[in-house]
Amino acid sequence: MNYTLLIPEILLTILALVIILFGLLMSDKDKNMLGYLSAAGILASIIAILGTSGSASFFYFYNSLVIDPLSQVFKLIFLTVSLLVVIASIGYFKNNPHQDEYYTLLLLALVGMMVVSSANDLISLFVGFELASMSTYVLAGFEKKNSLSLEAALKYFIIGSLSSALLLFGMSLVYGITGSTNIPVIIDYFRANPLLAASSLGVIGIIFLVAGFGFKMALVPFHMWAPDTYEGSPTVVSSLLAAGSKKMGFVAAFRLLVLFAVAVVPLRLDIQMAFGVLAVITMTYGNIVAISQRSIKRMLAYSSIAQAGYISLAFVVTTQMSVAGGVLLALGHALMKGGAFIAVAVVAYMVLSDNKNAKNTDDLENFAGLSKRAPITAFSLLVFLLALAGIPPSAGFIGKFVLFYAVIIEAVARASSWLLLVVIIAILNSALSIYYYARVIKYMYVLPPTGDKIKEPTPYVVALVLAVIGTIGIGIYPEPFIQMAMNAAHVLGV
Amino acid sequence: MFSDYAALIVLLPVIGFVLTLFLGKKLPSGGAYIPIAAILGSFIISLGIFLEIYPDKVIQQSWNWFAGMNLGILIDPLAIVMLLMVSFVSLLIHIYAVGYMAHDPAKPRYFAETSLFTAAMLAVVLSDNVLQFFIAWEIVGLCSYLLIGFWYHKPAAAAAAKKAFLVTRVGDVLFLAGIVLLYVNMSQIIASHAFTLPQGNFILQFKSMFDAIPQIDPRQLTYITLLFFGGAVGKSGQFPLHGWLPDAMEGPTTVSALIHAATMVTAGVYLVARTFPMFVAAPDSLLVVAYIGGFTALFAATMGIVMNDIKRVLAYSTVSQLGYMMLALGTAGIAIGAKAVGISVFHLISHAFFKALLFLCAGSVIHAVGTNDIREMGGLFSKMKITAITMIIASLSLSGIGVPLIDLGIPVNIATSGFFSKDAIIEGAFEFGDKTGNFIPYIFAILAALLTSIYIFRLWFMTFSGTPRSEKHAHESPNVMTIPLIVLAALALLFGYSQTGFYNYLEKNFRLMNVFVPVHQEASPPSLIITLLPLIMGIAGLLISYAIYHRRMLDMSKLVSSQNPLYKLLIKRYYEPGLSADIIGVKITHGVAAQSGEFVDRKIIDGLIIDNVISNSLIKFGDVAKKIQTGVVQNYASIVLLGIGLLVILLMLGGA
Repeated sequence: MNYTLLIPEILLTILALVIILFGLLMSDKDKNMLGYLSAAGILASIIAILGTSGSASFFYFYNSLVIDPLSQVFKLIFLTVSLLVVIASIGYFKNNPHQDEYYTLLLLALVGMMVVSSANDLISLFVGFELASMSTYVLAGFEKKNSLSLEAALKYFIIGSLSSALLLFGMSLVYGITGSTNIPVIIDYFRANPLLAASSLGVIGIIFLVAGFGFKMALVPFHMWAPDTYEGSPTVVSSLLAAGSKKMGFVAAFRLLVLFAVAVVPLRLDIQMAFGVLAVITMTYGNIVAISQRSIKRMLAYSSIAQAGYISLAFVVTTQMSVAGGVLLALGHALMKGGAFIAVAVVAYMVLSDNKNAKNTDDLENFAGLSKRAPITAFSLLVFLLALAGIPPSAGFIGKFVLFYAVIIEAVARASSWLLLVVIIAILNSALSIYYYARVIKYMYVLPPTGDKIKEPTPYVVALVLAVIGTIGIGIYPEPFIQMAMNAAHVLGV
Repeated sequence: MFSDYAALIVLLPVIGFVLTLFLGKKLPSGGAYIPIAAILGSFIISLGIFLEIYPDKVIQQSWNWFAGMNLGILIDPLAIVMLLMVSFVSLLIHIYAVGYMAHDPAKPRYFAETSLFTAAMLAVVLSDNVLQFFIAWEIVGLCSYLLIGFWYHKPAAAAAAKKAFLVTRVGDVLFLAGIVLLYVNMSQIIASHAFTLPQGNFILQFKSMFDAIPQIDPRQLTYITLLFFGGAVGKSGQFPLHGWLPDAMEGPTTVSALIHAATMVTAGVYLVARTFPMFVAAPDSLLVVAYIGGFTALFAATMGIVMNDIKRVLAYSTVSQLGYMMLALGTAGIAIGAKAVGISVFHLISHAFFKALLFLCAGSVIHAVGTNDIREMGGLFSKMKITAITMIIASLSLSGIGVPLIDLGIPVNIATSGFFSKDAIIEGAFEFGDKTGNFIPYIFAILAALLTSIYIFRLWFMTFSGTPRSEKHAHESPNVMTIPLIVLAALALLFGYSQTGFYNYLEKNFRLMNVFVPVHQEASPPSLIITLLPLIMGIAGLLISYAIYHRRMLDMSKLVSSQNPLYKLLIKRYYEPGLSADIIGVKITHGVAAQSGEFVDRKIIDGLIIDNVISNSLIKFGDVAKKIQTGVVQNYASIVLLGIGLLVILLMLGGA
């Protein structure tokens, strides 16, 4: 068997173990290099994945893992976010004596996410989920002397465990019906026996799976943990959670999308309508609540919930183009949201260097005159916020454009007025979101600064510039990314 | 071989922009050498491509962009001469700016912005489709906004930048509307199978547009071309959107030379020349072009006569000369067809050389005496010989003065480039009159020629002759500034001799793309008096200025007073700042934008969100949401379960 396609996972796992071992032997000061080591490993993995572009599928370990365009796109998303986070962490955790544990956990979480994106079996899916979740529980509470961070971690852990239980229960029901844990086998079985899928047992099984994935995706009403956790966690970890680990839910849902939508033909419209309702509630709730937030991290958390609502539109129509749009928006969101949280981390750094005991470092007031105090950060945040609002040329625009366009086409093709209504609500939501993004921009660019100019730490700047280049680059030259997303969607056979 | 690197023509200055912006502060001269090297690179590649494709090749490269649009490069004779001119003039002005901007603390920003500007202008020229053209065109507009407002702490500069931005935006909206209308028409004829887009071609490519001309409804074509011309009117400062250009002189003089003389303002002319086959197919539009151009040429020249700010005189002169170029496209386009592009672009390039030279000379003078007002200058000739001599060469060229030895039977004329380029335009206008019986454009052109000569020599005599009228001790500028002057002066003298070759080269332009533009037979050469009339006008203007401003044979103080209504009208610029430009540009555009912004902000956003019904319900909703978001983790878990329950009900009721 040819394992070259698994090199990224293998490399990162070994790197994680090496770092924790080395950490035992290193002085605290030398640990600063571990960040660079992790970044190098992630970069190597990105290159390895870019080098294996192709449209074929390869199966490993008795069909429990698959390497195909869909898995590769999501691995790229996870790796990119992790790279940004690691680069920013070099600044954030500088001289922290526990850096070795931090980077190990981060890399293990990354491996977990990558396993999820390749999972072709319910068991490997669950193992990947748990590996990523366990690692991120600890990461969320990494600042163990900060009670907010601990609270964030604990809430995340409790709700996460609940949803793991639900997920496992849903899987057991599906297994009970179909007699297999292999995803393609399950789907074929449901295709052959649609009545079984539409039975009470089948529906409840599916709903439990939705709840389990919905927790990761932070869909309303499974979202409650997200604002608290994003607010309390170390900002770089929030970045990883919001921009990266959230996408696990999406890739898993995409893999089972066929199960949800295509196989259950008799149920098709209803389950799509359920997704439609979920998507609309999620985006509207996220945007409205975001308006009244003073804490930027909470605002970003709610905006992240709203974005999850947009991405869920892909499940509502399940065409190749809608899935491609979902993948594109997921990719764009990874860059924009990851970058935005890192910018918030710079502000926290700035506020703390003014006053060591400052609380609520992400309060809106601290962003006043940011363009004068930290121009690169302010400009980057400007780009991310405009991109999140879907203003061209940006990755956010391209993703939303393809996604909304796909829904409109489908609505016209099916002459379905409720689908049209869904997309109109989505567009209105986009317009609404500009309001709270614009408020931050006003603070940064119009209001007078409250302190002197600071020197923005290089690691943050590097991460921000990379994210800006990605965000705008996709907006300017979207063709290869659209192609990549279309290939990924093609794998699902929708 | 050079053609493989055509994209670098644009990319090099873009890289220059990024590097200068970020590293400029740490480098000598504010990082000026980066854009200079980058633009030199662009120039060398352009030159290489020129040698490669001359005389009859065209370069087309295209990449799929998205949704049926492409990014592409089209280098035909029209594009390559523009590329050479833009990169070369920009290069000289960048070198000159090293000296001119030496004392400005914001040099990195200056050089970064001019580098981006050059890149955008080159991208306009290279575009093979109208969408990319428009995007680059907008970046050009943005850069001009930034550069006019370069000294943004000066209120006049900030206001001028805003005015330029808003007034040109009026044109841009028209242009964009034209693109949309074109797209709609193209889509229709493609959908109805009247026209098939060949494999590998894209809908908004110039080539496709030209090929589709016979299928487009002629009335629609007239609308499209008029809308395109609207864009050109804004960008090239034609009446009635000319008001921003003289105000734009608030920027550094090098910016005026770069943007408002040599390059950006010619983008409008270039747009009409680029889409010339469409204009030829819509003769009504061409007539509008001729009238607007001719009128602008005369109208702007009248104001040039009374202005006292050295740069404003030159600004009105630019507006007037751009009018000539439009006039050439309009009149010669109708009268003699394809050759009109050559005539117009030839004047465009010769104008670029002598106008850039005039601005740089003006910059040199301002640098030396520290004022813009020509009433405070005078007697500078002996102190600034290089500037004075190069400026008189530029002035002669602008007035179109030369010795027409051919008419005396000697095979070579001794003349400035303006003599060749402007004569051809005025002759074209005469030809138009001869064929159609409509001599109005010709009269505009010939009168403007007289006024041109008067105002430019007034400027020169007021500045350099007589006795100094201020105490300031003037001195010649450093070499880094005078060398570009000398190079440009040489070109202003010699460029004209390429006339015949230039016309022949450009005449082939559209034929090389297999696009047919009719060529009409030229009538028999006009009588000697018509041929010589422009020259006579030029010399007459020179003599009048000499008599008034050097010999002081006439006392101007009676005429130049606020009692004289004509003078008042001119010095107040036809009340244009209060009338056309302000009303059209600032009042309407700014008003509408501000009002609608206000409306959206106050009434829709604040009204709905903060104050009124929806906002109250939203805030209430937010409060409820906050209550749900208790922070108590048990509640969160309950809500998860509640959500599952609701989903079950939803699916079970609907499904089973």
